[in-house]
Amino acid sequence: MTVFGALITVTLRALLGRRRIVLMVVLAALPILVGLVIRLGGGRSDAGDILDALVIRTVLPLIALIIGTAAVGSEIEDGTVLFLLLKPIARWQIALAKVLVAAGLTAVLVVPPILITGLLVGGSGSESIALAFGYAVAAILGGSAYAVAFTVLGIVTSRALIVGLAYTLLWEGVLAGLLVGTRFLSIRQATLGIAAQLTGTDVGVDPLAPVVAIAIVAVVIVGGWSLGVIALRRFQVRAGD
Amino acid sequence: MTTPPTRPTPPVPGWPGAPEHRPVATPAAATAAPVPDGVVPAIQVEHVSRWYGNVVAVNDISFALGPGVTGLLGPNGAGKSTLLHMLSGLLAPSAGIVRIAGRVAFGDPSIYADIGLVPEREAVPGYLTGREFIRLNADLQHVADPTAATDRAIATVELSDAAGRPIRTYSKGMRQRIKLAAALVHDPPILLLDEPFNGMDPRQRLHMMGLLRTMAGEGRSILFSSHILEEVERLADAVLVVYAGRLAASGDFRSIRRLMTDRPHRFTIRSSDDRTLAAALLGHPAVFGAELTDGLLAVRTSDYGAFTRVVAPTAKAAGIRILELRPTDDSLESVFSYLVRR
Repeated sequence: MTVFGALITVTLRALLGRRRIVLMVVLAALPILVGLVIRLGGGRSDAGDILDALVIRTVLPLIALIIGTAAVGSEIEDGTVLFLLLKPIARWQIALAKVLVAAGLTAVLVVPPILITGLLVGGSGSESIALAFGYAVAAILGGSAYAVAFTVLGIVTSRALIVGLAYTLLWEGVLAGLLVGTRFLSIRQATLGIAAQLTGTDVGVDPLAPVVAIAIVAVVIVGGWSLGVIALRRFQVRAGD
Repeated sequence: MTTPPTRPTPPVPGWPGAPEHRPVATPAAATAAPVPDGVVPAIQVEHVSRWYGNVVAVNDISFALGPGVTGLLGPNGAGKSTLLHMLSGLLAPSAGIVRIAGRVAFGDPSIYADIGLVPEREAVPGYLTGREFIRLNADLQHVADPTAATDRAIATVELSDAAGRPIRTYSKGMRQRIKLAAALVHDPPILLLDEPFNGMDPRQRLHMMGLLRTMAGEGRSILFSSHILEEVERLADAVLVVYAGRLAASGDFRSIRRLMTDRPHRFTIRSSDDRTLAAALLGHPAVFGAELTDGLLAVRTSDYGAFTRVVAPTAKAAGIRILELRPTDDSLESVFSYLVRR
């Protein structure tokens, strides 16, 4: 196995071998459950609203938060990060493997519920399929940005989960609605901007322009990874005595 | 060319309990395991200090190590783990420089091709089997034949039978051994071990000591920390004694052991006639002081062995019955404190 393959493997094993995977699957199943209830009730025409509220605003950031903060953070917490740090591997490679796994796993867990829920709510017409795929693409991009941001958060602070929750609930949930200028610092708004462009749905007042939304996502992903590399290079393990 | 290290100023001059530093065997740049002239030392520590806020964990330590087994001896909290973390590049010194095979340790991951570290913390992923864990280490070290290296490392620590089991089912001693296997899988020339014998039963301890001796014989530089004098005595050729963050002594183990043994000792005795026993003991050349305090006889001696041999016959000859004989300063703390004060 190559060094990078081993990095991916060890990160995946750490993330999937624990109880958190159960929590993530339950979270991912929630929109499907709601979609099923709606379908049994005859379906609705506003599938976009359902995906927006249930997935983009709720499940996506939460899953990315759980995965991202654990990708390095849990290894730092239990000390197993030593076995990665004590290897002759460039820190950019470790950071890249971590954010790739976090972003990939987030996409794997979020895309199926979006597609299934979209089809359950909106039916199997071509418009509904296009809507579901549009939201899926937006969720992949937005989820990657969330996952990278939360992975870096897990490296720089031991309270990453609390900080991440505060960001998604307070900053994005409350402030971004009250202060229009904060939209540019919101991954959710960028994700919704991309979704609006791809699906043509109404995602609320004044969505971000697609170029701006994609630029925000790109800056978060590249900037986050770069910060992660710097943080890992400066990372120190305090001894017990 | 490298910039000569600047001698650090202690961050908190005369912090509480700061002992005066007088290395015993060698001065500031101590060489525990000898390094031949012209050879780059495996480990070189130059005026290294590390502090956390106002707390000094390591204070102005210098030494160089070559091949052989060196014991890093000191009581708990002396700064051994902090020093080992700095040697393994996991912690940046607040002042001074640590070099591994000539390279600055902190911030250069390439040193890990030459280092194997066994950390004290039980930081092993319990969800992996022993074999998976060692194989991943081999892959991450990019060794030429990871399968063979994995088998060899597991066999070396005698864990072949348990290698298929998840590490979470391992005993503390087995975890220590799997950590050693992980440190050995890339066959590094430098081994750093933090309290490696913790949790091992006597047979495992003997096996690991033999293993480390063999590896040292093959030319590796091995530094292991311990707070147990006997472990260091049985394994190390050379020793670095650390106390309160400072290098209290360094060099050949036997000369330091002699210093430890020959230091003044203090005993308290309760007997049927303390006053007469004090007079009788003071006639012995090894005894240089005796005083009666709080109903006990306190005796000071310069020769631990000689005193323990004569005390009973002396009491018997004087018709005195000894009810209690207790060394009062035999803890390692007092040994290290004495070495620092010398």
